[in-house]
Amino acid sequence: MSVAYLFPGQGSQQVNMLHHLPDHPVVQKTLDEASETINESAILLDSESRLQSTVAVQLCLLIAGVSTARVLETLEVKPDMVAGHSVGAFGAAVIAGVMDFKDAVSVVKQRGEWMEQAYPKGYGMGVVAGLPLKQLEEILENHTTGEEDVYFANLNSPDQVTISGSVTAIKRVLASAKEGGARKTEMLNVSVPSHCPLLEPVSENLASTLNQISFHRPTIPYGGNRTARALRDPEAIKDDLAFSVSRSVKWHQATSLFYELGARLFIELPPGRVLTDLSCRAFPSARSISVSDSGLKTAQVLINRMQQTQ
Amino acid sequence: MINVVGVKQEVPARRSWTKRRDAKAERLTGMKDIASGKVIPTGRIVEALESLIVPGDRVSLEGNNQKQASFLSAALNQVSPEQIYDLHMIMSSISRPEHLDIFEKGIAKKVDFAYAGPQSLRIAQMLEDGKVKMGEIHTYLELYSRLFVDLIPSVALVAADKADNEGNLYTGPNTEETPTLVEATAFRDGIVIAQVNELVDELPRVDIPGSWIDFVCVADKPYELEPLFTRDPRHITDLQILLGMMVIKGIYERHEVQSLNHGIGYNTAAIELLLPTYGEQLGLRGKICKHWASNPHPTLIPAIESGWVESIHCFGGEVGMEDYVRARPDVFFTGKDGSMRSNRTLSQLAGQYAVDLFLGSTLQMDQYGNSSTVTSGRLAGFGGAPNMGHDPRGRRHSTPAWLNMMTSDEPLARGRKLVVQVIETFQTGNTPVIVESLDAIDVGRNAELATTPVMIYGDDVTHVVTEEGIAYLYKTTNMEERREAVAAVAGVTPVGLQHDPKRTDQLRQKGIIAFPEDLGIRRTDAKRSLLAAKSVEELVEWSGGLYNPPAKFRSW
Repeated sequence: MSVAYLFPGQGSQQVNMLHHLPDHPVVQKTLDEASETINESAILLDSESRLQSTVAVQLCLLIAGVSTARVLETLEVKPDMVAGHSVGAFGAAVIAGVMDFKDAVSVVKQRGEWMEQAYPKGYGMGVVAGLPLKQLEEILENHTTGEEDVYFANLNSPDQVTISGSVTAIKRVLASAKEGGARKTEMLNVSVPSHCPLLEPVSENLASTLNQISFHRPTIPYGGNRTARALRDPEAIKDDLAFSVSRSVKWHQATSLFYELGARLFIELPPGRVLTDLSCRAFPSARSISVSDSGLKTAQVLINRMQQTQ
Repeated sequence: MINVVGVKQEVPARRSWTKRRDAKAERLTGMKDIASGKVIPTGRIVEALESLIVPGDRVSLEGNNQKQASFLSAALNQVSPEQIYDLHMIMSSISRPEHLDIFEKGIAKKVDFAYAGPQSLRIAQMLEDGKVKMGEIHTYLELYSRLFVDLIPSVALVAADKADNEGNLYTGPNTEETPTLVEATAFRDGIVIAQVNELVDELPRVDIPGSWIDFVCVADKPYELEPLFTRDPRHITDLQILLGMMVIKGIYERHEVQSLNHGIGYNTAAIELLLPTYGEQLGLRGKICKHWASNPHPTLIPAIESGWVESIHCFGGEVGMEDYVRARPDVFFTGKDGSMRSNRTLSQLAGQYAVDLFLGSTLQMDQYGNSSTVTSGRLAGFGGAPNMGHDPRGRRHSTPAWLNMMTSDEPLARGRKLVVQVIETFQTGNTPVIVESLDAIDVGRNAELATTPVMIYGDDVTHVVTEEGIAYLYKTTNMEERREAVAAVAGVTPVGLQHDPKRTDQLRQKGIIAFPEDLGIRRTDAKRSLLAAKSVEELVEWSGGLYNPPAKFRSW
């Protein structure tokens, strides 16, 4: 049976998240590499004030995920497949050996900056839970006017999705969804309409930047955000990293594919347990744990045991 | 030489009538150095497959929802794609990752199957990406029958428990589909390879004669076996108990249902566990539910122990039920060695043709009673449910239940098989089960299937049971009345909300729908305390310690 690593995206950040990483030389080395790339001390990125910016958030998530996976590697455990939610995909790409960590840091920093600059105000994201996807799709169609667009952003589970677009359109959709019987409808505290065509220019910029760095064949399959396929071709992964920011993230499908490929242990890298909660619900017969909650030792024991089970 | 006056005729070249046999002999010559007699050494199986299979072959790989020829499927995944490619795979069930890996590698190209639940997203993706060429999604019986018509295998890869040096196979409780796959291949000069858990001098009994088998190979580990038909009674809800009471009172008793098949689920587990309690209170023992075409469901143990069940013929075994079945030969089909004999093809046939009733559940049903379990983006197929969940129109053996479905006194009037769908009107997550139109229509269109993947067609459904009541669809006289009957028991789903409550009383008076109170059932009586066993431990106790549940069902 296989082990999948899952790298969380925005929304999972926590104040002091870098300070909570294990005291391990590999963590220090990872922080140093990041600091060198961004020309400032990376450990300072996880303060409450710095995390107001998506740039710091995205960098912190990348650093936390990669450094923890590297610590696990020193304990001689490795995943059989990797996927990351949104910006988490960069951590997944690094651990799959597709791109160097420093390259990832530099691209993620720019990604954050471009996203921040794209829509200074009037745009954002919302979340809807407990409404069948088909019903929500009809609501979205009814509320997309051409001027005030709203789109599916993250398809996290069959009954939990986020939507992106103009704030007024999102609010209208949330109201209709509530009326239609949704269990939960909420605006998210983000000002960037991620994962929808409004961010096409960010994708274009990312594509040309990613083209200038070297990509390698992944050592293990990488779960694509955009197509939910298990990717093994470096060009396809590059494409996914560039264009997923302007397309829906098919998270539920990507992890379901991993389950079908034999994953029975899902390990969420720090911070938090957002993806663990999704996996627990989606795959009751698999085991899902977050390193933040369960610790490195538990992860190591479970990974070893899972990979020995056939 | 025939001479016709004035015409000079040429004799056609002599045609060979043994091409298949000759081709098989040719393939076998390469095996002289690999196999010793019929036995292929474990470590040389990949080499053997490369020697016996040729590109484009039709390969029948054993694997259904329970038993898997997992050693042979792993070996097939290791053959050289340069040497073996474009295979046409025929599989009851696409269950294991390597079943599709072989398509990604180009070893296989086309597939015919009946069920792909465990790989349903991946196969949909691969079809969309052009990595798999779709034959058809069959039902079990259609797939098995086609093995004898136009999908005759060149090679069959099957699994057995034990073999001897002559190639005789012991398949024991999990005989399942092995005899069918072997027969279709062996008697048309195909090649049959069986993986076995062990090679022995003497078999407990011979399930498949060695003259049908070309090669056996001892697997590196026992074939995979899934305990698919075990339901833990702890998870049965009060609502499912209410549904079960309605079924027993409003259908089994009313129509005197004596022989039946149950699909697998908590609804059916509830019914099975209500027979010795609620059924007993109604005095129905010996009158209903005597003969079964079903797997040895552990939840049937209390009914068997309290004398309800006369016979059960099984599609396959169930992990943990071996010793119990062995100790109850009056109920189960067993061999001289004492262990069970199953046969998927024959039990499916029995479930289709011979029983009074099929009862199952679905994820979605439209307002005319058509149902499907397909969900968007997935391509799963339905295995055996469509075989049992329909009325075989040519049937004529009359039983009380079958005759009870007659709604006219025309001289040529016939009875019907009872096809019952038991559903809760909402799934978890606020998703209505009764809908205006099936998701399957979009799925079929997107996957370019020739027909919409419907599991059970509405015109075959005789009864729909929901927590609201029973719709006796067989009594409806036209589509509009059928739609109204479904809507009347559809609760607060969109279909139910459109229903005119005034019509409900008329339908009740005509006996087309019945509420629990019409059947003398009080909703408040539907409690878990009615279950004959409320946990797996209690099932073990009922069995006198003979049922040995797999580890994942042991909570103690």
